[in-house]
Amino acid sequence: MKSVVTTVVTAADAAGRFPSTSDLESVQGSIQRAAARMEAAEKLAGNIDAVAKEAYDACIKKYPYLNDAGEANSTDTYKAKCHRDVKHYMRLVQYCLVVGGTGPLDEWGIAGSREVYRALNLPTPPYVEALSFARNRGCASRDMSAQALTEYNALLDYAINSLS
Amino acid sequence: MLDAFSRAVVNADASTQCVSDLSALKDFIAQGNRRLDAVNAIASNASCMVSDAAAGMICENQGLIQAGGNCYPNRRMAACLRDGEIILRYVSYALLAGDASVLDDRCLNGLKETYSALGVPATSTVRAVQIMKAQAAAHIKDQPSEALAGNRLRKMGTPETGDRCASIVAEAGSYFDRVISALG
Repeated sequence: MKSVVTTVVTAADAAGRFPSTSDLESVQGSIQRAAARMEAAEKLAGNIDAVAKEAYDACIKKYPYLNDAGEANSTDTYKAKCHRDVKHYMRLVQYCLVVGGTGPLDEWGIAGSREVYRALNLPTPPYVEALSFARNRGCASRDMSAQALTEYNALLDYAINSLS
Repeated sequence: MLDAFSRAVVNADASTQCVSDLSALKDFIAQGNRRLDAVNAIASNASCMVSDAAAGMICENQGLIQAGGNCYPNRRMAACLRDGEIILRYVSYALLAGDASVLDDRCLNGLKETYSALGVPATSTVRAVQIMKAQAAAHIKDQPSEALAGNRLRKMGTPETGDRCASIVAEAGSYFDRVISALG
């Protein structure tokens, strides 16, 4: 799983040397920013159901055709699965906040998503809408500190870019 | 390879839950500088630690440097020193990452089989690792033994903490214990 620490250790191991001062500096830099990430991760973990529900509702509101017979949100089973998918993305964002890199989103969310959505005939614009809603919904100092919100929004942007 | 953070994520993903208990990770962050100082203490004293561990091991078992011993020609003694440094290096990586996966995957996996195939005595190897464990604890605490080191005494001079980084010392010790149990 790619993170600052694993990148540093992989490089040091490839060169066969002990962690150098500059390696430790890199890790120190990551640790300094970690408090904001932990705050965002904690807040997101506590509210993930509400966040995912809002984002899901927003994308169905923008694309009401999804409720039509035969579309991706037509039956209760499909609705539950759509909601679950949005929640999956939010959970992966939470993982990325914890790790401090995009590894979880890359490995578990983005890799192969194009093929899966094509095979299942799922449209990606509703996902983009759901994530964009969450991206613009957060409000600094009401939901979390400004720095934490920046980290959170950066990861949502990353997920949005991967889908568009 | 995982670190303390990605370990928490992998465990949470197994039950498709968010990472809910962040207290251990917050401690990791709060004690980040201690950890980096500890890694630095090991890296800065590595060659001294490795040569002392090999010397101590041989001192207790002179047969190793007599004809037929496993450290007898310089070539085999050099291999012994090299292996000590490799093991110590992977322990320092594990300590930096806060997770043993790099040590397990890249160092310990198959090490016992390799050593038994090459005829490296496990008891001597374990003894050298035990000496390195004690040295690592002394250097992380920055309390090297003045009685044993004499005029070669080296101190890091890092800021002292009240408990002398007891939790990091214990964690480093657990990685050395991991090496010992993998060899046994």
